[in-house]
Amino acid sequence: MPKLVSASYSRRHFLALTSAAATLSTLPLKANAASDFTLRVAPGRARFTPGSTVETAVWSYNHKVPGPELRVRQGDRIRVAVKNFLSEETTVHWHGLRVPNAMDGVPELTQPPIAPGEAFTYEFDAVDAGTFWYHPHQRSFEQVGRGLYGPLIIEEREPPKVDREVTWVLDDWRLTRNRQISDDFDNRHDMSHNGRVGNTVTINGKQPGKFAVRPNERIRLRLINAANARIFGLDFKGHNPVVIALDGQPVTPHQPEDGLIVLGPAMRADLIIDMTAEAGAPHGVIDRFYEELAYPLVELDYDASPLRDQPPAWPIAMLPSNPLREPRLDEAERHEIVFNGGMMGGSFMAKLGGSMPSARTGSMMGMMHSGGIWFVNGVAATGHVMDPLLTLKRDRSHVFVMKNATAWHHPMHLHGHSFRVITRNGAPTPHQEWQDTVLMEPGETVEIAFVADNPGDWMFHCHILEHQASGMMSVIRVA
Amino acid sequence: MRKIIMGVAAVGVVAASAYFFMQPDASASDVTLYKNPQCGCCEEYAKYLTRNGFTVTVKATHDLNVISRQAGIPDDFQGCHLAFLDDYVISGHVPIATVNKLISERPDIKGVTLPGMPNGSPGMSGQKSGPFRIYEVGATEPKIYTVE
Repeated sequence: MPKLVSASYSRRHFLALTSAAATLSTLPLKANAASDFTLRVAPGRARFTPGSTVETAVWSYNHKVPGPELRVRQGDRIRVAVKNFLSEETTVHWHGLRVPNAMDGVPELTQPPIAPGEAFTYEFDAVDAGTFWYHPHQRSFEQVGRGLYGPLIIEEREPPKVDREVTWVLDDWRLTRNRQISDDFDNRHDMSHNGRVGNTVTINGKQPGKFAVRPNERIRLRLINAANARIFGLDFKGHNPVVIALDGQPVTPHQPEDGLIVLGPAMRADLIIDMTAEAGAPHGVIDRFYEELAYPLVELDYDASPLRDQPPAWPIAMLPSNPLREPRLDEAERHEIVFNGGMMGGSFMAKLGGSMPSARTGSMMGMMHSGGIWFVNGVAATGHVMDPLLTLKRDRSHVFVMKNATAWHHPMHLHGHSFRVITRNGAPTPHQEWQDTVLMEPGETVEIAFVADNPGDWMFHCHILEHQASGMMSVIRVA
Repeated sequence: MRKIIMGVAAVGVVAASAYFFMQPDASASDVTLYKNPQCGCCEEYAKYLTRNGFTVTVKATHDLNVISRQAGIPDDFQGCHLAFLDDYVISGHVPIATVNKLISERPDIKGVTLPGMPNGSPGMSGQKSGPFRIYEVGATEPKIYTVE
């Protein structure tokens, strides 16, 4: 493998020293620069509480939780050397990036997993600008749950004008009384309900207290939900955040429905927020997705001195489009995909007038002992390699009609593509947003549309990692 | 926020206080039922207990698996929710006859569990497809306590 410089995370690196001789003369002028990074995957320690000396054993990239923010500009070439110092195999998946199949980081399906002591170099172009992230796809319910994830930011060539840009990687941890990660990964309760939701929420690896802002400051906030299973529903009390991108892809700037930014696991949102709360009013960001368990996530701590007299008058325009091919609905092939299983699955299906897969019995436990808990068109996956659920004609438009016949939410993620979310329960979505992970409510039918323009075998799975591990995963072949 | 951030401590404290130190003024008919915040059938089971004369306090938690383990219920035997009644833990959709047998006979066990969510059990919809096997949990491996 090539020798690589160890890159710092906050800025771009234009060249690998070892390849400098060949490229140095041309690099400063090249439109498409190369960015080299190294990720060391290893056990480490983290301090979640600012000011506390209590350390929690984690698994981390470059001894940081989250891992380093990899930041490049659109059009750059990215090379990442991943070195595995864990005692088990791993991979890295570049969530939301439209990379060549061999770079997608799915063990066995797109590459042999990276063995302990081994390394693998990923290399691909930063095709789309936006907010993305990276994480393992090998035993991800535990590897992500122990801290392996990091932000990957691809800057627009001409980013929108703001005073400050901030990335918040949201996560939660299930800690025991002695502040160590509970080792009850992949237990049946989590797998059959709503996954491993933790008891300690962090932003960028710290329990948030106050976030300092200045009156009339404009902030671009990049939100990434890196949690295994927790759905966030953020209410920026006293503020009017404007959504400008979802899952990295530009969207018509809009204020969220009910003022709530809802992010299922793996989902992202880019917000523009003007700090215009009235003095003296509470400025908390409340997470109230689980209404009974709502809590203040972080307090926006206003400085006494305003940045300016009024909020900026700069217009909030739609971000420049990424080079996504527009699906043609008139000639799209339609594919029906039904999801079922999980707790209350039988009674839920009965209400919908359907039935459970034949392998199921009246007893959840009987089913659970057979392994599969969640089913995609009647099949519960047992690994990453399987017969394709669908084979899609390459470069053709396709519509997935996705029926969530379960009593639970599922953030469904398709690798290698972004898709438009075109309808929910038969009604057109107001923004026809591009996503790579779409959150389906219990009982909801969602239609997505895209051009299958990236050849290969791609994962299509629930990003509640416990659901993925207990069957809710399939392969979509584009050929 | 502090409350939530101390979630870990809270799990311990909540579980411990519920399990080890029942409130001194709690009467034998007071039940605290922990449930997943998104689980509907647990609410139905709470109503079932209420109809049978218990005073039920329902508490949503993300830590059900942790609390169940601390209460002594192995993963494979966990029910969908967890109720603390008197000195006992009741896991899952346990029928009232077994609950009453437990609190009247007062055996030296931690509690009882009906694993999973069998159709037709109290709080669950659907048709009963076979006998419910309710296990006792305690110092030894779970074994059958009642069959209903």
